[in-house]
Amino acid sequence: MADLSFEVQAVSKYFPGVKALDSVSITLEPGKTHALLGENGAGKSTLIKIITGVYAPDEGALHVGRAPVRFASPRDAIMAGVAVVHQERNLIPRFSIAENIMLEHLSDQVLRPLNFAAINEAARPWIEKLGINADPSTPVMELSVAQMQMVEIAKALSLQSSVLLLDEPTAALTPHETVALFNVLRDVRDKGVCVLFVSHKLEEVQEICDSVTVLRDGQNACENLSMNGLTRQDLVRMMIGRTELIAGYRPRDIDRRENALELLDFSSSAGHHGINLAVASGEILGLYGLVGSGRSELAKAIIGLLPTDGGDIRRDGQRVTIASPAEAIHKERIGYVSEDRKHEGLILQHSVLDNAGITVWRRAVNRFGFLTQNSVRRLVEPYLKKLQVKTPSLRQTIGKLSGGNQQKVAFAKWMAANCDVLIIDEPTVGIDIKSKTDLHDLIRDLASSGTAIILITSDMPEMIQLADRIAVMTDFVVSGELGNDGDYSSMSKQIIDLIHIEETRLVGE
Amino acid sequence: MVCIIATIIISLKSPAFFSALNGQVLLEAISINILIALSQMVIIGVGQMNLSVGAIGGFAAISFAGMMEVWGISAPVAAGLAIAIGVLAGSLNGIFIVWTGVSAFVVTLATLAIFKGLNLAITEAQPFYNIPAEVGAFGNTTFFGPLPWILIPALTIVVCVNFMFNRMPLGRKLLAVGANSHAAKLSGINVSHVIIVAHCISGFLAATAGIALVARLQLGQPTIGDDWLIMSFAAPVIGGAILAGGHVSTVATVFGVIIVALITQGLVLFKVDPYLVQVVLGALILAAVGFNRWKDIQTAKTKPGMHSG
Repeated sequence: MADLSFEVQAVSKYFPGVKALDSVSITLEPGKTHALLGENGAGKSTLIKIITGVYAPDEGALHVGRAPVRFASPRDAIMAGVAVVHQERNLIPRFSIAENIMLEHLSDQVLRPLNFAAINEAARPWIEKLGINADPSTPVMELSVAQMQMVEIAKALSLQSSVLLLDEPTAALTPHETVALFNVLRDVRDKGVCVLFVSHKLEEVQEICDSVTVLRDGQNACENLSMNGLTRQDLVRMMIGRTELIAGYRPRDIDRRENALELLDFSSSAGHHGINLAVASGEILGLYGLVGSGRSELAKAIIGLLPTDGGDIRRDGQRVTIASPAEAIHKERIGYVSEDRKHEGLILQHSVLDNAGITVWRRAVNRFGFLTQNSVRRLVEPYLKKLQVKTPSLRQTIGKLSGGNQQKVAFAKWMAANCDVLIIDEPTVGIDIKSKTDLHDLIRDLASSGTAIILITSDMPEMIQLADRIAVMTDFVVSGELGNDGDYSSMSKQIIDLIHIEETRLVGE
Repeated sequence: MVCIIATIIISLKSPAFFSALNGQVLLEAISINILIALSQMVIIGVGQMNLSVGAIGGFAAISFAGMMEVWGISAPVAAGLAIAIGVLAGSLNGIFIVWTGVSAFVVTLATLAIFKGLNLAITEAQPFYNIPAEVGAFGNTTFFGPLPWILIPALTIVVCVNFMFNRMPLGRKLLAVGANSHAAKLSGINVSHVIIVAHCISGFLAATAGIALVARLQLGQPTIGDDWLIMSFAAPVIGGAILAGGHVSTVATVFGVIIVALITQGLVLFKVDPYLVQVVLGALILAAVGFNRWKDIQTAKTKPGMHSG
């Protein structure tokens, strides 16, 4: 099926009151990796849905190898050779890796008994190729998030399609796994497949892609431009219509005499041991580490979601025990902004107001114990305004807002909660550049107004722009701590060295 | 709308429908069914199911009747104690669900058998007949035109439950837990407490319905509650509740009860075989969930996918 081009020609798509796509074109050539870029709301996901057969275009046409095609359903798109790796997991947790990869191939054999040995053998090459490093019969639910992502990619590749569309494939991967994925993608590309790579990570786009199409406000900001000679600044300018403003790190005055939160020889049931960390009011402590190094688990152990297993937590110098997130918030004023806003951070089917207000209900009641029309609104609206959340109304269901706006509401909720200590986990994953800049400003503002912040992020530039000190975590221990001098190349080298030293030590044992 | 049209059609075909007695009977049935439906709706809101609403209601009903007949306790005190039993039964459901982490479906299936078994063991499957006259009067007389006395506690409870879900932190927390218990927990809500309280409220409402039914039947029937289950799900579902939790509407549930009552009553007046009434009720549930699903698909089609731009 390879060596066919895929063309989207002047496609438009209307929704009530919105023109989501306005005559958008993109051409994928066999043997090339093409990048699709655009901020949230630029029309990227609408275009993806048209390419994958979820929506039919109102105007324009799709061509596979010059022949016009019409997709009435996602199944039509698959039959025409368009394979997709979605942002959301589409795996069956209790099925084995091999069964998940081969799922689409099994559907014709409804009545024949399954030959698991044959399925495992058929899947094994893909498992090895992608470095999944697990037995084909392992249930998918026992895998790490990154491994699941690889299974998802293997599943798409196994269809031998002429077009492979990857939507934010590296969001859950470590740098090491990303390298493995890119090697596979180059392989696939060289076999004559059209690869469409959708990502917010411009460094990756520059590394892997041959050409690029940028969408802005539902239109082409550029179409099939060669990556050669394009700089990161060029891409950003096309995406947002202006040059990116990267605010560098500026040292701030911090009174370190008393720590707002301190961990002494802290251990947890998740596997942390001997952790010593401290953060003062007004300080941003960065916590860097690879996916799976135990950063989010540490946050969850601090707020009482995972059991502790020894050592002390000190809050303003006082030893405290925290049994639940409710105690963390209402007694110790410690909040946790989750990395997983869809499942842990927000209630997608509830309104903006209910989501932002969830931490303040107990303060918003009148003297009879009732919430009045405006009491919640009064407490959260200033924060929503400050963060410039774009929503038709506060009653809007939050699941219908863009990722950047959702994340802003998740932040507003914690600002309204008046916490003294905030643990912020991967605040800008998968959101657009404007929202990202807004959230960075906000994190700085929060620190300046006296909040102690622990910032967990895998985004090295983000870390070096924001953190006053950076602690590096490897395999559930803190392998070192650095003061931030704001110089990207030296800081990133020191951080990577710390991770490397610890890994060498672990191998040595 | 549907209610009005249904009422007009029925009254045109059968003038008997508007007679005072019929109105009274209909309103009595509606009042009690509202309590049953709300008892389930609270649990649907928190994202669970309570299969034991009927068993709790029946147990509270025979407790109420039995305490008056056997121990000679006055009606208000007996009612209070029966409600306490309902709340206790609900709290046992909630505590067991939270403590073991077993799904509410399984736990309430088990307690359904337990409460029903206790009911039969106490009554030996014989009704309590000696219900005080004033209790019977409360269940069978009207205070104005065709408006029965039972309507008063039922409407009061509707107002309270509606207020709770819309204006009280408890109600909002309940819906938050129902929609996404993980996010609710991380936002500082004590999820276990909320689930237990929801089951207490459900037990309270089921017991109230049981007591009201004793007053209406003037009989402590051990079979009270046996046929509540379908009704308890039908009305909230017709009212647009999402069974996965997080969204319920008290007012719409009340309309659900009214629609079901009008249709079943209408069928009786048209002399349709009573056994077929069950079939119609089942079809009504399917139609309601089908309609909700269709509406979801329509909105999904017309709204742009803005999730990740």
